[in-house]
Amino acid sequence: MRIYEDLRVVQARLGVLQSLAVGLMTLLGIQFWNLQVVRGKTFRALAENNRSRSVTLAAPRGPLLDREGRVLVENRPSFNVLLTPEHADDLDAEVSRLARALEIGEAQIRERVARRTLFRPVVVKADAALADVAALEARHLELPAVSVDVVPLRSYPLAAAAAHALGRVGEISERQLQLPEYEGLGPGALVGQAGLESQYNRRLMGTDGFRRVIVNSRGLEVAELERQPPVDGPPLTLTLDSRLQAAMDRAFAGRAGSAVALDPRTGEILAMTSTPAYDPNQFTTGIEPALWSRLISDSGTPLMNRVIQGQYSPGSTFKLVIATAALEEGVITPSTTFYCPGYLSVYNTVFRCKAAGHGVMDVHHALTLSCNVFFYQTGIRLEIGRIAAWAKRLGLGAPTGVDLPYELAGLVPSPEWKMRIFKTPWYGGETVSVAIGQGQVGATPLQMARLAGAIANGGKLVRPHLVRSADGQPLPGMEPAEIGLKPATLEVIKSGMKAVVAEGTGWRARLPGIAVAGKTGSAQVVAKARLEKTPTAFAILPHGWFLAFAPADAPRIALAVLVEHGGSGGEAAAPVAHDILAAFFGLSRPEPGTPGVTDTEAE
Amino acid sequence: MIDRRLFFNIDWVLLGAVLLLSGLGVAMIASATPAGRFSGLYLKQIYAIGLGLLGLVIALAIDYRRLADRAIVLYAASVLVLLYVMRFAPVIKETRRWIQIGSFQLQPSEFVKIAAALFVAKVFAESRLESMGLRDVLIPGAAVGILAVLIARGPDLGTAACLVPLFCAAAFLAGLRMKAVLGLLLVMLLVAGLAWPYLKDYQRTRIYTFLDPSLDPQGAGYQKIQSQIAVGSGGLLGKGYKQGSQAQLGYLPARHTDFIFSVLAEEMGFLGVVSVLGLYLLVIWRMLETAQLARDRVGAFLVAGLAATFTFQVVYNVAMVAGLVPVKGLPLPLMSYGGSSIFSSLIAVGLILNVRMRRFAN
Repeated sequence: MRIYEDLRVVQARLGVLQSLAVGLMTLLGIQFWNLQVVRGKTFRALAENNRSRSVTLAAPRGPLLDREGRVLVENRPSFNVLLTPEHADDLDAEVSRLARALEIGEAQIRERVARRTLFRPVVVKADAALADVAALEARHLELPAVSVDVVPLRSYPLAAAAAHALGRVGEISERQLQLPEYEGLGPGALVGQAGLESQYNRRLMGTDGFRRVIVNSRGLEVAELERQPPVDGPPLTLTLDSRLQAAMDRAFAGRAGSAVALDPRTGEILAMTSTPAYDPNQFTTGIEPALWSRLISDSGTPLMNRVIQGQYSPGSTFKLVIATAALEEGVITPSTTFYCPGYLSVYNTVFRCKAAGHGVMDVHHALTLSCNVFFYQTGIRLEIGRIAAWAKRLGLGAPTGVDLPYELAGLVPSPEWKMRIFKTPWYGGETVSVAIGQGQVGATPLQMARLAGAIANGGKLVRPHLVRSADGQPLPGMEPAEIGLKPATLEVIKSGMKAVVAEGTGWRARLPGIAVAGKTGSAQVVAKARLEKTPTAFAILPHGWFLAFAPADAPRIALAVLVEHGGSGGEAAAPVAHDILAAFFGLSRPEPGTPGVTDTEAE
Repeated sequence: MIDRRLFFNIDWVLLGAVLLLSGLGVAMIASATPAGRFSGLYLKQIYAIGLGLLGLVIALAIDYRRLADRAIVLYAASVLVLLYVMRFAPVIKETRRWIQIGSFQLQPSEFVKIAAALFVAKVFAESRLESMGLRDVLIPGAAVGILAVLIARGPDLGTAACLVPLFCAAAFLAGLRMKAVLGLLLVMLLVAGLAWPYLKDYQRTRIYTFLDPSLDPQGAGYQKIQSQIAVGSGGLLGKGYKQGSQAQLGYLPARHTDFIFSVLAEEMGFLGVVSVLGLYLLVIWRMLETAQLARDRVGAFLVAGLAATFTFQVVYNVAMVAGLVPVKGLPLPLMSYGGSSIFSSLIAVGLILNVRMRRFAN
């Protein structure tokens, strides 16, 4: 055995290994230089992005107040049950326990968890009851991933009252996210989806605040870097009077239709009702799909705001337009008379009136008793061109510009319109129908209320509006527009309308001590009902109209009431108008009216 | 038992550097586990270092030649223990790697590396061939291969892979012909290099998962990204001790074990990284120097095998932290938290000191 082995090869080869080790270490050093010094800035930004997170502090939406400062819409604190899956030790077991504690379906929770963003809590139950919160608190040790958040929730204390005017809120839709007016909002944001909530959405939303926080890898907050508190949405003071609104809703109980009352001097809307209605509170936490599909498929169309979206034949209320136009155009004078035998035979057609006939009629009496023959004759002399022009000057056939979304224009037919749409010429007989507000004429209750207001205020077309001031600032562009009517014309129309209530078809709207001016109307729906094969008697009854303003000599309120399938305006709509007016003037109990004329009016 | 003369021949530089790295490891573990269920782990690491030093002294005391003479016995024991672990050890983190002794968890594979180094050194030292071809290393290679496969079944591919450099280094020094060495390397590189780009992602994932079923590509990807962010954001000077957001807020996975070097890089910066890499290079250099100074082949092979394993682990772990190689459960020797790792590392250092201090003795 050699004492010293020959280790020359070993030593030479160890030199190779040493070089290899130095080489590898140098390469590693270069990589660290590259990461830490050359690209250090990039990684510092990534690390910052990792650790800090911006949390939105939702600004409570501004409350809506009525003209007296009474609350119409507010926010109330509510509890959201949140689940942060990353915090769970055993997510499956925790979901099961949570489902049992809240008595909701496990599948529902799992579906929401599946759609979440990493490290963001999932809302498992919005607006949870106090009992739920207590149950979760008691079990918080076995539910480490569950938390409860207090969030402001939109609340409509009047429930369905003025629901269509106030509107509703809901999660922003995919389509809305694309629109410029919703710029800066992300998915899940709560925005107005109808009515004033939608119209004044930006103003009501205020400005969201945020917190920049340091979070650890499990998303748990460990410190706060910066805080910008939210700016509450400013309150919006409305023109609505919640007491009148309540009276209007009461007066409408059990009926379908709509009513709107405005101040004829300013255009301020005092109350508006559209029935059937819905409860906007059902939308605030995300409406249940079943309820939503029921609401949109309901033949009573509860989501539709009939005041601005219901386009009805104005019926005899249109006689106000014909009378005004004829007096202004000099087609008739206040003393012009026509004989009414109960019908008019013209253009090979028999146009009907009250069967017994009204006899000799001037414009005053024709309005009072709503004599069709007088207006057939007047309409024929005016011709359709001048009728259409005057209807437009009086605000029909175009949106009123009310501060609500999706207002419809109504329709004033003319030969040009007919040629454009149907490619057929205008027939003279159609003018006869239009003269009593039938045929193609369509008007919204708001347009008709404004028309009544224009007669009441001496010939000015107001711009109806619902907002008095936003955050104390009055809104611009509300000046009424002068139509240019002769005082004499207005005098004749007004006295006719006063007589309608005092001794004519609108007697049911009479008030003690206060002169009410009005006009009844019925929108014939028989033909339409037959077309739609609706056999029930209810559906065949006409829509009853009633326009009014009061006090007749210094009007403070103008009103349009439409009762769908309620029968004639005098029978169906005038009593509703009576109750609304009585409430407005503080007359608690409706006075029992005394019949002045028979009900056998021809409208 | 230890001759006083031997005591003076201990490589104090190597021992000093090793203790410095261990101490740095404790400091980084303390930073990486400030609170929560892992706080206080640095104390356990200190105990482990204490125990490891005891093991180091024992490994130092017994003449390495007497240990090498019993290499066959140690090899057989290793196989038996690994078989036992495979069949009976509790499943921890979906793997069977540990055996429970009292309140301690021991990872036998860490100690198998040392047994393998002794075994390989002994086998090659006994072979008196002037030069060896591939055929001559087949039988010892197969013997080590059996150990590697048993460890890999754990599954613990990282530790199993450590046996490859161990064996290669010893075979290289034992006189494997340069042609054979080059041929071996060339073939391995060619196969890997040519095949890899043609594989689809899912095929690569399949290969990974075939080799290492515990591998979760998504999880591994997350770890890699977070580690790179930690390292890169450290910059030149670092964010300061206990000030690294990646480490302190928990974005770094396995930060006190496999990714302890990320914590160092984030908090101590490039200067800290270079200093520690320098210390590791010093340790490796002194180890290889010891192999050169060894008085006999068995000592040289033993040291070279242990040094190769050590170097492989350091380089792989640091390269993993830098995002250069796939994430594997391979600790950084001396610095990562873990009793078995620190214990076996210190025993290996003890054996290397053993060889160096007995270089003049008969």
